[in-house]
Parts: sequence; structure tokens; C-alpha cells
Amino acid sequence: MKKRLISILCCAALAVSMISTTVSAAENEDASENVSEQGTTEKDEVVVTMPPTSEPASGFDPAYGWGAGEHVHEPLIQSTLTVTTADLQIANDLATEYSVSDDGLTWTVKIRDDVKFTDGEPLTASDVAFTYNNCKEKSTVNDFTMLEEAVAVDDTTVEFHMTRPFSIWPYTMATVGIVPEHAYDENYGQNPIGSGRYIMKQWDKGQQVIFEANPDYYGEEPKIKRLTVLFMEEDAALIAAMAGQVDVAHTAASYSEEVLDGYNLVSVQSVDNRGFNLPACDPVEQDGITYGNAFTSDVNVRRAINIGIDREEMIQNVLNGYGTAAYSICDQMPWYNEESEVEYDQEEAKRLLDEAGWVEGDDGIREKDGVRAAFTLLFSTGDSVRQALAEDTANQLREIGIEVTTEGVGWDTAYDRAQSEPLMWGWGAHTPMELYNIYHTVEGSGIGQATYSPYANETVDQYMDEALAATDLEESYELWKKAQWDGTTGVTQEGDIPWIWLCNVDHLYFVRDGLNIGEQKIHPHGHGWSIVNNVDQWSWES
Amino acid sequence: MKRWNRRQRVLAGLILSVTFLAVVCIAGSLCTQQALTTDLSQKNIAPGAEHIFGTDWLGRDMLMRTLKGLSLSILIGILAAAVSAVIALVLGVASATLGKTVDSVITFVIDLVMGIPHMLLLILISVAMGKGLTGVIVGVALSHWPSLARLIRAEVIQLKESPYIQISERLGKSKWYIVKKHMLPHLLPQFIVGLILLFPHAILHESSITFLGFGLSTEQPAIGIVLSESMQYLAMGRWWLALFPGIFLVATVAVFYVMGQSVRKLIDPGSVHE
Repeated sequence: MKKRLISILCCAALAVSMISTTVSAAENEDASENVSEQGTTEKDEVVVTMPPTSEPASGFDPAYGWGAGEHVHEPLIQSTLTVTTADLQIANDLATEYSVSDDGLTWTVKIRDDVKFTDGEPLTASDVAFTYNNCKEKSTVNDFTMLEEAVAVDDTTVEFHMTRPFSIWPYTMATVGIVPEHAYDENYGQNPIGSGRYIMKQWDKGQQVIFEANPDYYGEEPKIKRLTVLFMEEDAALIAAMAGQVDVAHTAASYSEEVLDGYNLVSVQSVDNRGFNLPACDPVEQDGITYGNAFTSDVNVRRAINIGIDREEMIQNVLNGYGTAAYSICDQMPWYNEESEVEYDQEEAKRLLDEAGWVEGDDGIREKDGVRAAFTLLFSTGDSVRQALAEDTANQLREIGIEVTTEGVGWDTAYDRAQSEPLMWGWGAHTPMELYNIYHTVEGSGIGQATYSPYANETVDQYMDEALAATDLEESYELWKKAQWDGTTGVTQEGDIPWIWLCNVDHLYFVRDGLNIGEQKIHPHGHGWSIVNNVDQWSWES
Repeated sequence: MKRWNRRQRVLAGLILSVTFLAVVCIAGSLCTQQALTTDLSQKNIAPGAEHIFGTDWLGRDMLMRTLKGLSLSILIGILAAAVSAVIALVLGVASATLGKTVDSVITFVIDLVMGIPHMLLLILISVAMGKGLTGVIVGVALSHWPSLARLIRAEVIQLKESPYIQISERLGKSKWYIVKKHMLPHLLPQFIVGLILLFPHAILHESSITFLGFGLSTEQPAIGIVLSESMQYLAMGRWWLALFPGIFLVATVAVFYVMGQSVRKLIDPGSVHE
């Protein structure tokens, strides 16, 4: 009995001591938090989180995709010849003027003569030429096949000789950061030197990058002097924000209901769209890959699906309202054709299917000539938004008699399978090339149709070729619009509608109260670097 | 009430275990459709009268998903463990009876497979087989046999020295006859217990590999998927997404273990002398 009493007492003592240590640890944490809060009272530094996928695997080298590629953003460390403005027109940065020859094959760009790299060397036209030739030679992320060669004519003039007319070259010039020829080697990505607004101070791979303002920047002086980017998943970012450790935390619609003390939820409009492809030809097999789909090759089916989906309901349910309906790959862009927009009309969708001979069977699923009105909608494993959109699409299409099963796939097999089965994609960039990539046929690849999903329309191809050959940007916008719909044919509802666009996903951030993140451009695809495009103009309210 | 003796208690435990597993399996196979149905207007509901396990971020009922996931796990576990056990039996017996060369080859293979961490081997095989259901089953089946095979080999070697087998050999009986008539009956209890104790391993490994993303595909209601998805929402206080499936997984594994021990006590009472 006595022994038992002693052991109980021991346990109690242990418990009390454990509780007291945790309490004191918590108090210590409070104390350290106060210190860090005082630390940020200088109010010229910010800590921003980004997804781990935003960390540039090959470093901060434009030749390996920094600033460009799928996730277009401003390179911060380097400066570019041009920049895109808030309404996505083109303005000058390093360039003072540029012009293109009548045949569209030579671009002549004059650059500023007062710009220095952060190592003190002046930035000249030969650095520009070197950068572009280097990109052409090495880049796997960017398409530089239209560039023949870049030549420095004198210290402030550079000429780009093209292999084919490329009217949207100024948009390419807005993404390529200029690197110093004298300080470029294979390790450049790890120790980048540029002439941009910020200098990279420290990079702890897999964790964080620290930028400091460039004191000799030729433009307006950055207000934020120090930018720390932490790479973490959304759930970790949420916890970091809860603990008050970050100033801007990226987040997703599924976390948008959380209310965090000291933070407000900021939603930035994007052209980060989600949509799925509908293979537009009958199945053929080549090299072990099936191209086309017997059900979706019927244009009436594709039209019925396009108007049979209630995009607003989808945005409310899946994105908690943080999104806008998408009708094209380039909503809101200067080259967007508003004819793409459609009204949700379930009855009309059913009528289209009935008329095309797709008759409802006993189980409520339509059929025609032994072909079942059914397809598998693929989504990339691990992407919860795409999975939810796929599920919602399946639920909605069942109402008009189409059976959709969803399947999660890895990107290793997704591209091949998408040639015959719809896949939930995400696109959206600040360049009309997106239209070209999606809808233009590519000779000699697959079955000679569009790259990602079988589709071919000569007229659409022709408009896009003309748009690229145009010498004037404004004129090219009109041609890009005609490629979408010219009054008789195109890729919209009345046209061939080979892709269904569902929504643009707003980019959501928890932003610390008192931090003003300025006016954000419409964000492209990728929930990463776009937010800090204008970090130099952010400010803390005092 | 008359107090139950040990045998009866063990029997009761065994019956309870089997019932639990049967209920989970049957319920799971009946609710395939409900487990997959999404209803985005019903998402993220905490456990209540309508959804006693709550719903997830796609509005799927967590009770259905848990049951379906477990029944899938049990099915994979049974299939994989059975295949594994047969491999172990064949190799174990072969190793002990077919002479020195065969024995050293098989022992080497056993050491080799045991030398590679289970999970690693499992992931390798599963990915090589193209993931999915086949990948997981083949992976679990091919990675779990060595310990049982070694056990059986040791048992057979010991048996070979026993007088009645020696006499049988002297009498000129064929090897096959000895294996069939003398060895298998003696090995059976060991084998069955080993088989049952393989289940929990197989189930846990199936869930782990799926949790890590090398197993079943995300739209399937596997327990590993359910648990890995729930991780993202723990920070937001959605405890029910992880708690119930987790408890059920632990319960299933524990029940298989109890079952294995009970069967051992029943068919091989000598092994449990205290």
C-alpha cells in the first residue's frame, strides 16, 4: 500500500513539473515573439511565403527559366528590356525605344546608357545580346526558336534577327532578365548579379531566399529594403501566419474561411485558369498513344458541355467564391475576344445532345450508335482544387446525361493520356502565345494536330500566323481575337470549342494588417513570384 | 454468472474479431457508390447526426470513406498476405528439403530481401508495376514472405531430425510423401498463425505506401489517401478527418493481431505456456 502511495506521489510530481515546464516554455515563446515584433518596427522589410515549387531548381538564371517559362514574373534581380503595365500593355524598362522592320524579321532596341550592374560594371548592348544568345542556346523552358541571333550594334543598340516574324517579341523582352557577360558562368544561378531592384543576399536551398534593395538602382528607389521568401506548403504557411511569423502567406480557397488575428485576406484576380480539353477527332492510334475520343469528337457534345456547366455554382462551391468564370485561356487580356462568353443553359445543352442523336438510356446516361456518353476526367494527383473541379464537373454533367468518372494521374502519364481523355489543366500567362500553344497545329508531332489535345482548324491557324507576322501590336491583338472567333469559325461556343474553360482561380494571401501590397497586375498561372512583382512599391502604414 | 475459462474467452475474442472484420468488409463493399459521391454543398461538416464521422472538403461522407477504405485495405491485406504466405511455405519447405545448394540460394534470397527496408522494396515494386491496385498487391505480396519463410525452414529442418521422419525415410517413402503426410500437418498451425499475423503488416504497409503517394490513386477511398488528405486540414481544426479513420485503422490492425494470438492459443496450446 505504501509503495503504491509513493508511486502515485511520484507521478503527480512528474506531471506538475511537466506542466510547469510547458507553461514556462510558452511564456518564453511569447517573450521572443515580442522581440521579433519590435524587430519589424523598422517597417521596411517583409517576409513572404511561396509554395516549394516556386523555388527555382536551377537557380536565378534566366537561361534556365528564372522569371519566365510557365510561371512568368518579373526577375527582380535582373532588369528586363520592357515591362508589362497594370493593363498588360508594354512599357520600357532598360529599353528607351524599339522598332521592327517591315518584314518583321529585325527588331532594333535602344537601351539606357546609365545602368550599372551591382558589381559596378556598366550594362551595355553586348550584355543584352549575350543574354539572348545564351538563352537561345541553353533554354529548355522558353521557346527561342524564333530568334536567329542577337547582335550588339554599338554600346546602346541591340538588334534581334528573327527566323520568322514574331509580333509579340516585346512580351518576351519583358521576361528575360539581362545578365552580365563578364560575370556569367555555370554558377551564375547560385550567385546572380544583375541591375534590377534587388540583390540576392542569401539562399538556403529548400528554405528561404533573402533579397536586399539595390542601392544603385537606376529607377525609383525601392521602399521595401529587405525581402525574405520562405518556401512552404499552404498548410505550413497558414500555421506560420497563425504564429505571426510571416507578413504575407499564400493560401488556398479551402483555407479562406480561417480568420487570423492581425491579418486580412487579400484576393488578387488572376488569369490562372482551369479548364479541360475535349479531344476533337475520332480515335486513331500512333506510336502506342491514342489520339482522339469517339464521344467528344462530336462538336455538339462539346457545345453542350460548354453551356451545361454552371461556372458560378462551381466557383461558389469549389473556390468559396474566390474566382471568376473563365471562357477562354486569356480572359481580361488585351487579346481576349468577348465572344467567348456563354450563358449557362442546361435545357439548351440537353436539346443539343438530343438533336445530335445522343438519346438517354435506362440508367439516365445517353448513347448513340453504341457509343456511351461517357469519359474519364483526369486530374493531377495532389492538386485538391483540380480534383474538386473535376468532381463538380462530373456531378453537373450527370444532370445532362453524361457520365464522367474522375481519376488522379501523375504528370508522367498525364500528357499522353490527355490526347484521348479530358484532363483538368491550368494555364494563363501574360502573352498571347498561350493561344498558339493550345490551339495551333504543330507539324510533325503526334498526328500533326495541336500539341496538348487533338484539334486542327486551318482558319484559326492562319489568323495566329498572321498575328505573329503583324508589325504592330494593336493590329496583332485584333488577329488574336479573330483566331478565337471571326464571325464564322473559331474556338468558341459557335465554333469548334475544343477546350472548356471553367474558372480563373483568384490568388489568395493572408496579409499582415498595415502592409499595403500595392496595385497587383492580374496574376498569371502559378501562385508564387507574381505577388512580389511590385514588392519595391509595398509599404507599411505607420 | 459462471466465469468463462481461458479457452472460452479466447474463443469469444476470436469471434468478436471475425465479426468486426466481416462487418467492415461487408459494409465497405456495399457503400462503394456513397463513398465516392461528392456533394460540394455538404463540405467540411463536423460529425453530427446526419454524418456521424463528418464530411471532407469534397462533401464526401467520412463514415462511408472509412468503411470503404478499410474494406479495401483488408481485401488487399488478405490477398497479399495469402500470396506472401504461400511463397513463404513453398520456399521454406524447398529450402529445408531440397539439399544444400537450394538451401543456400534460398537463404541468400531471404537475407537479401530482409536486408532491404520493407518500405523501400514496397515502393520500388509498386512503382515498377505502375502503382494502383495491382502495384500495391504485388508489392506487399513480394516483400512480406521472408520472415515466415525463415520460420518454416527452421521448423522443417528440426522436423527432419525427428525419429518418425527418419524412420519414414528409411522405409523408402518418397520426399513428396513425407512432405505431404508428415511435414505439412505439423507445419499447418505455425503457418496459419504466421499468415494471420501477416495481415496487420500488409494492411499497415498498404496504407503507408498509399499515404506516401506511391500506392492507390487519389480518387479512391483508400485509408492511406484519406489520412494523407486529412493532414492538410489539421491546422484548421478539422480533427474528424484524421481521428476516426485513424482509430479504425488501428482497431483493424489490433483486431487482426488478437485474432492471430487467439488462433495460436487454440490450435497450438503448447506455445503459450505462461
